[in-house]
Formats: sequence, structure tokens, C-alpha cells
Amino acid sequence: MTLTLALSKGRLLTGASALFARAGIPFPPQDTRRLIVEEGSLRFLFVKDMDVPVYVEYGVADLGICGSDVLLEAGSDVLVPLDLGYGRCRMVLAAPPSSGLADSWPTTLRVATKYSNIARGFFEARGLAAEMVKLQGSVEIAPGLGLADCIVDMVETGRTLRENGLEVIEEIVQTSARLVVNRASDHVKRGEVAALLERLKPLL
Amino acid sequence: MPTRLQLPQGASCFTFGEARARRALAARVVSVFEGWGYDEIVPPLFDDAATFDPSLASKLYSFTGREGATLALRPDFTSLVAKIAAGRLRQVKAPLRLYYSGEVVRYEPPRAGRQSEFHQMGLEFLGGGGAPADVEVIAIAMECLEAVGVTDFVVALGHAGVVTSLLDDVGLPSEDPRREAVLTALSRRDPRAVAEALAPAAGTHNDARLALVALAEDVGLRQSLEAARVALAESARAAEALAELEAVVATLSAAGLSARVTVDLSESRSLDYYTGLVFRIYGAGLGFEVGGGGRYDSLLGRLGRPMPAIGFMLGLDRLALLVERQGALLLEGPPEPRPVRGETLESGLREARERRSRGERIRFEAKS
Repeated sequence: MTLTLALSKGRLLTGASALFARAGIPFPPQDTRRLIVEEGSLRFLFVKDMDVPVYVEYGVADLGICGSDVLLEAGSDVLVPLDLGYGRCRMVLAAPPSSGLADSWPTTLRVATKYSNIARGFFEARGLAAEMVKLQGSVEIAPGLGLADCIVDMVETGRTLRENGLEVIEEIVQTSARLVVNRASDHVKRGEVAALLERLKPLL
Repeated sequence: MPTRLQLPQGASCFTFGEARARRALAARVVSVFEGWGYDEIVPPLFDDAATFDPSLASKLYSFTGREGATLALRPDFTSLVAKIAAGRLRQVKAPLRLYYSGEVVRYEPPRAGRQSEFHQMGLEFLGGGGAPADVEVIAIAMECLEAVGVTDFVVALGHAGVVTSLLDDVGLPSEDPRREAVLTALSRRDPRAVAEALAPAAGTHNDARLALVALAEDVGLRQSLEAARVALAESARAAEALAELEAVVATLSAAGLSARVTVDLSESRSLDYYTGLVFRIYGAGLGFEVGGGGRYDSLLGRLGRPMPAIGFMLGLDRLALLVERQGALLLEGPPEPRPVRGETLESGLREARERRSRGERIRFEAKS
């Protein structure tokens, strides 16, 4: 039985490629344009990062690699046995320094974000009913243009935030790349899944 | 307002071949239930909302009855069957072997094999205690899959007592809301999240804490009874749970069923009422479980008729999907209906009734 692994071509691909090289597991060349690649005993699917847990939850892929941010946002019912340790990022609440959010929160708040589920959960836990403005990218410009009071977004170095006149108000969660596994594959393909996990684990 | 033509999200509807295939599958499963000596129970479609397990409370389709009581459409069968056994059927001697087949509804966003409205087929062995009842129910579950031609499947066995006794040891008793976070993390086999969820626990029992993280982290431990026996030796109740599970696994292996069985000690299922053996059934080609079940020895006691009990159910829609994926069962539809026309409406009707009495499949096309 071959295993199918779903990956995204985003920022986590280099780390995955390096990890598999260290484990001695064949990995597709990064410049391939093909979306389904067989390599050794594995079949690789290249999909959008937000879709990785979807492919795995439905069992179209047995395993996947995606950021924990994507997992939190999608809320998919998948197993999350390995923190792969790379691709570390922070999910933060950020706003212009003039917003006053660092000191007190208003009763209503408009939030621009790609991660509306995570953001909603964060504000609900604090008793705030925030209005979500769901954007696909360039979230950082929303407060300056009056589209939102603040943003919830991923930050690596913080440079983009600073250059767009935003500061971190609060860190919501730290994220990193995770290996996810389909619930049925964990049993039906138990030997293969366990063998792959055992090869990757000592390298982390 | 004009009628909206689409059905509400999550509502189910089947027609033609699909409906026929479901009926045929259901008939085969029912004949397995009947074959093992179970009798049918047809519980009500709705009951007091309080009847149903609290873990399903947020998913109930509830409404107010004429008398002001809060009622709900059934979200599962087990609580209903148990209540009826403790009430209306209290004079019927235990053990009671009952099976059911019908729709349940749960408010649930449709995703991976989940609908709001779905058909469950299952059984409850009330008064069935210990390993004999456990292996009986697992054997029936396996035969149901075999009966519809599914050959590539696994029953993943666990024991609710392993995880719950470790949680008690670590200082998170069942009424502690933080227990839920640990169970969720554990069900995702996420060792980091388990460690984080355990961090605020008051108990100083470090062995139990490490064992819970290890159950998520260590594939070898959660899948091997031998490794677990060593690792969980410190907790008497966890060890007892393991011994119970071991007896079941040994019996199934001795009966030649070991290829169909895996062990997963991190399994505790989500409903709080499980007290012993728990299991989920997975088939090759389907990314989510096709069914599952477990032992719930304290539920009937809470209803005033203490006795052990175990049950399991299959999702008919998921079973149909699995059958399709494994190309298991070739369902032959009925023959094309043959037209009946006749000279007159009256003679057509006479001919139709005559051919029907011979069992023919007809289409009535007589004209006046």
C-alpha cells in the first residue's frame, strides 16, 4: 500500500524537503509543476495550504504537512502526532499605535484577517463580539485605510507590520509545521504510517 | 414568499438506485442482527431533550411541546433505548438484546461524511457484561461488514478506563471542565496539546501525566498492550482496564480475527458514558469511521435499573459509501417495468391486477 501525502507549495515546502532529505526519503524536486508526483513509495499531492487538512480529513491523502495556523483555522478532524518544528511563526493581534487597543478594548471592534475562525475564537474568549472582515491577503493595509480597527495575522519578523504602521498588541498563538494523519489511515495503513512517523521523529 | 427549491443544509434525500442500495444494505445488516438473536425496537422520533447525552446538548434540534416541555428530535438511539428498557420494559427480564434502524438528527456543519440527518443501524445488549458480551458485539459488527461484502476493514479497540483512570490520577475528575481539553488533544494524538492541557492540573501524580502524553506521542505504546502494561503499571485502575481489553483481544485472536483488530489505547470516544471497551470501525478507502461502539455500564444504573450494557452502531450512509469504494456488493436492481395497456381502462386494470398477482413489475398505461 502506498501512502499519499498532501503538501502546499507555500513557505513550508523547503523545510519539508530538507526534513525528508535528512530522513533519506525521496522527495519531488521543488521546481516541479506537476501537482501529483510519485516518488519512491510515496505519492505527493501539491495543494493550497488551507486545503491540506481537508484532503487529509476526507482520506484522499493519508498524511499532510501544514502550519498549525491552518489547522486551527480549518478545525479539521485529523490526527496531529508530530510537531515538525520548522516554519515557526506567531499569530498576533496588531493595530496602529494610535488605536489605544493596548490599554483598553472598545465594546465593538472590526478585525481584518485571513483567519476569521481563530480571530473570532480569540475575541469570544474575552467576551468581545468582533466583526470579521475576511480578506485573502495584504491584511496589513486595512487599518490605515479605515477598513478595520485592527488585524489578526501571521508574523515572522514583524517587518511588514512596522512598515505599514502597525504594532503587536497581543500574541494569540505560536505556530509551526505539523504532520497530520487521517484517522482511518492511522489504522487501515497502520504499519506504513507508523514507519514514516518513526523515521521522522528522531530528526525533530 | 416563493418556495425555496433547495433542501436545508445537512438534510438528506435519496432516490432511485441510491435509495434502493441503502434499503438492500439495511436489509442485510438487519438479517445479521436478527441472526444473532436480537429483536427490533422502534423508539420514538422525539423525547424530552434531557433524555439525551449532555455531550450532544449543543447539537439538538429542540422545540417546545404544547405542554411547555422542551423536546428534541433524537440525536442517537442509545439513551432512548436505555430509558425505555429502564421504564416501559422494566418487567422484561434482562438480558435484553435490541436492535434499531432509523434516522437521527444532529445540528452539525456538513463535512467529511457528516450530515445533520443520517441513518443509524445498531444494537444494544442490555445486561450483557464482561468479555463474552464484548466479543459478541464485535463479532456482530464484523459480520455486518462481511454481509455487505466489505472485506478490507479494521476494528480499532480501546478501553475508556485507561484514559479516564489516568485523568483521575492526574487530578482532573469527570466534573472538571479542563478534562475535556485533555480528551480533545488526546483524540487528536497531539502530544504538545496534551501536555499544554495538563499543565494547569492540580494533581502531583507525575507518572499519570507522563503516561497521558506518551499515549499521544508514542505510536508503539498506544498500539501495543505489552508496552502499555509496563508503562501503566503504576496505575492500578489503568492496569485493570488493560487486562480487560487484553482478554477481549486474546479471544478475538484465538478465533482467527487478529487481522481485523488493532489496539488504540488513546481511544476513549467522545461521549462521557463509556466505561469499558470502546471501538471504532474503519474501512480501506473511506477516510472516516463507518461505525463504532462501546460499553456503558453505569447509564442504566442512573436510570434506576442497574445492569451492564454494550452497544454499537453503523452509519448507513457511510456504509453505502464504503461499499461503493470497495466495489463490494453488486446490487441488481429490479427488472424494467413492463407496460400494461389493455383495450379499455377496465380490461387494462383487470390485466394489471392479474399480472401483479404473478409478481410481475408493471407500469400502468391503460387509456380510457
